Amino acid sequence: MEYGSIEREIRIDAAPEVVFDVVSDPAHVQQWWPDEARYEAVPGSAGQIVFTKAGEKFPVTFQVVDVIPGRRFSFRWAHPEGEQASKDNSFLVTFELEPAGDGTLLRMTETGFRERGWEAAVLEDAYRDHSQGWDYHLARLAPYVETYLVAAR
Amino acid sequence: MNTAVDDALWSAVGDPTRRRMLDLLLAEDGGTATSLSARLTVSRQAVAKHLVVLDRAGLVHGVTAGREKKYHVDSQQLARAVAQLADVGATWDRRLWRIKEIAEAIQEQARKQAMEQSQGQTKMNN
Repeated sequence: MEYGSIEREIRIDAAPEVVFDVVSDPAHVQQWWPDEARYEAVPGSAGQIVFTKAGEKFPVTFQVVDVIPGRRFSFRWAHPEGEQASKDNSFLVTFELEPAGDGTLLRMTETGFRERGWEAAVLEDAYRDHSQGWDYHLARLAPYVETYLVAAR
Repeated sequence: MNTAVDDALWSAVGDPTRRRMLDLLLAEDGGTATSLSARLTVSRQAVAKHLVVLDRAGLVHGVTAGREKKYHVDSQQLARAVAQLADVGATWDRRLWRIKEIAEAIQEQARKQAMEQSQGQTKMNN
């Protein structure tokens, strides 16, 4: 059983080159996910995505992993500021593109939940149910759940 | 739940061997220290210690069966993890739908431009 990843597939009536730009170019990415995206679409580029909620800005780390034009774009995100993104401290999002007739089959996978999901689920529950020890929870909760709550749009 | 217990939860899920044990308990519908030890390259004593940590954190529950305790993953805790993943999945569905709309709009615009250009050329040729 695998609870550690999310996989999705969608057929798009646009050429792979077009879809690739939409999933990788920061100017496009901020149209479908964060409010601001700052990085270069080259392997290893470290940047930032910024979410705005109620006028407040929540910057989140972002690091490009793979860039194969028209084929694949992947990145890691939500690792602790100042740390190198790795398997154990971030989520990995991979977009794979495949020509399908006139269009493109886009596959998305996000992994990293095996490493972080339990903690988040446990903490989310604590966050909901307990007012005791609030400050304690919040301090640990903030970097992870805030990221996900704010990014869930 | 007090702070001490929460601390236990944190360290319980923070260890890769214990996460692997949770996976095995889920896949095999429970297990004992002996059965887990046979599947992992970890001694029975070490597995038993890890089980105590998981048990104390509420992630597994043990029931005495014969000479050993049989452990199961706490299904509520699991449900929380799964529910959270489902939420994340739903947000990705929305994002992918937007990606589709944007890409198709760009493609459509390119088609129109190409058509206008070819029409312009036809006119010029005429």
